[in-house]
Amino acid sequence: MQENTGIKFLVLIILLFIAGYLSLFFAGSESITVSELSLNNFIFWQIRFPKTLTAILAGSTLSAAGLILQIIFRNPLAGPYVLGISSGASLMVSLSILAGGSLNLLSNFFIGKSFIVVSAIAGSVLVTTLILAISKKVNSSVILLLIGLMISQICGALQIGLEYFSDATSLKSFVTWGMGSLANTTNFDLLIFLPIALISLLALLFFIKPLNALLLGENYSQNIGVNFNSSRFYLIFISSVLTGLTTAFCGPIAFVGIAVPILSRMIFKSSKQQLHLASCILLGSIILLFSDTLANTLIKNISLPINMLTTFIGAPLVIYLMFKNKSW
Amino acid sequence: MENKPCIEFKNITLGYKKTGETISILKNINLSFFEGDLIGIVGLNGVGKSTLIKSLSGLLPVLKGEILIDEKPISNYNLNELAKKIAIVLTEKIGGFNLTAFDVVSAGQMPYTNSFNKLSSHNLEIIDAAISTCGIAEHQNKLLYELSDGLFQKTIIAKALAQQTPIMLLDEPSAFLDFASKHELFLLLKKLTEEQKKCVLVSSHDLDLILKYCTKLLVISTTKVELISSSEAKTNATFKEIGGRFI
Repeated sequence: MQENTGIKFLVLIILLFIAGYLSLFFAGSESITVSELSLNNFIFWQIRFPKTLTAILAGSTLSAAGLILQIIFRNPLAGPYVLGISSGASLMVSLSILAGGSLNLLSNFFIGKSFIVVSAIAGSVLVTTLILAISKKVNSSVILLLIGLMISQICGALQIGLEYFSDATSLKSFVTWGMGSLANTTNFDLLIFLPIALISLLALLFFIKPLNALLLGENYSQNIGVNFNSSRFYLIFISSVLTGLTTAFCGPIAFVGIAVPILSRMIFKSSKQQLHLASCILLGSIILLFSDTLANTLIKNISLPINMLTTFIGAPLVIYLMFKNKSW
Repeated sequence: MENKPCIEFKNITLGYKKTGETISILKNINLSFFEGDLIGIVGLNGVGKSTLIKSLSGLLPVLKGEILIDEKPISNYNLNELAKKIAIVLTEKIGGFNLTAFDVVSAGQMPYTNSFNKLSSHNLEIIDAAISTCGIAEHQNKLLYELSDGLFQKTIIAKALAQQTPIMLLDEPSAFLDFASKHELFLLLKKLTEEQKKCVLVSSHDLDLILKYCTKLLVISTTKVELISSSEAKTNATFKEIGGRFI
């Protein structure tokens, strides 16, 4: 069993390199060969590189957030997108772009971006807390999913309302960003995106015990020495930072957060959450990198929305799980 | 009999707060429990058996008075210290997320592992011992939902054993078990108190089993809380009141 785990991780790491290579050199209107690569290759350094790194960051953060949410809710059908948390973050991003524009906050790059990121995180925290409060009243994971869907619809409706009040340029950025995209992140954005994502993911190393204990529920985790309420509070905060951060830069990315932890549990028949954390980071990156490559190569000269690909991977998995009344 | 009690109730009132209102269930109780005791907690539904177990395990704060564990107030323990003193077995179902019987039992060693929850060979020895004591060795790699109710209950008891605590609390562990499993369960508890000198408190509605296996009875009625030895149970008025008259 131990040997298998090692081999599986090795395969994932190799896949990550392949997916990264494909995304860097082929995911666009023209392919670049390694021999042509130079320091002043504009397409490579200004377009492909930030997009590939963004795919890795978005895949890691959303999958880790999904894993945390599934543990907190003890529900394998939880995830930042399906519970409406991404929508809450999106709505706050739109609000902050509008408010930031009128308050003249956005003229400075770092202040503007930070303002948007903090708003997105606040949106995630709000929706997660709301869903958690509701989850105490319902004990069915499917009903929780429906409530998440409704919250996401409400946020969407508010977002449409906001778009009416925005001018043409911000409207266009709202719409393209609202569809979810890995291509809007610049190298400058990455200066904010990368460190916060890394710190949040590393912070999870301090929560290995709680992540494992919380699966046993409130009473048993307290009884084996893990403070349930405070661990849950910090974990909700970290998952909200991970979701809000990625949503601020990429918009809502569908189904990665719910599907990757499920896949991870299917591949590694383990309940060790430290193992799943590592594999979710790898798997999430691989899936978004492949999705990005496919989105840019399936139809020549056309770049498909990334959410189209991730939905095709994620949604069938969720349906399969609902039929198979067995919790992964 | 040991001279020092491992659990002492000092004039405690138990209950819970519900929408700002305080509901007290058990009032002004003074009791002591000792190592090697197998105590059956009996009483009608809603009388406060679960509240007692939750308060005693520190999951619910007591309303008044003090519970002493090894002569130290329960409120002075931090969670990890308390996890090494008291282990609980509750009625709630857990499962999913690839959790196997082994995983649950090994969670019992969590108070003793480092912050990465790495199991040393010493931790593994204790887990294996708990598994074999409860007789679930051949089922340890099964997923939780594949286990019968009896095996599931034994798994949770093995988790409690792996916690290496002097005190074990069980809330209606026999509720969903078949006849044979009920007896096996109580035999196991008896073995733990006799061989490992644990203090075990177990609530149950199976009065006949409690009478047969427990050394003492904690009889709870709406008006009274009494700790009696099982030999005097049949003549005890409170025990008769809560259903003992039918035995």
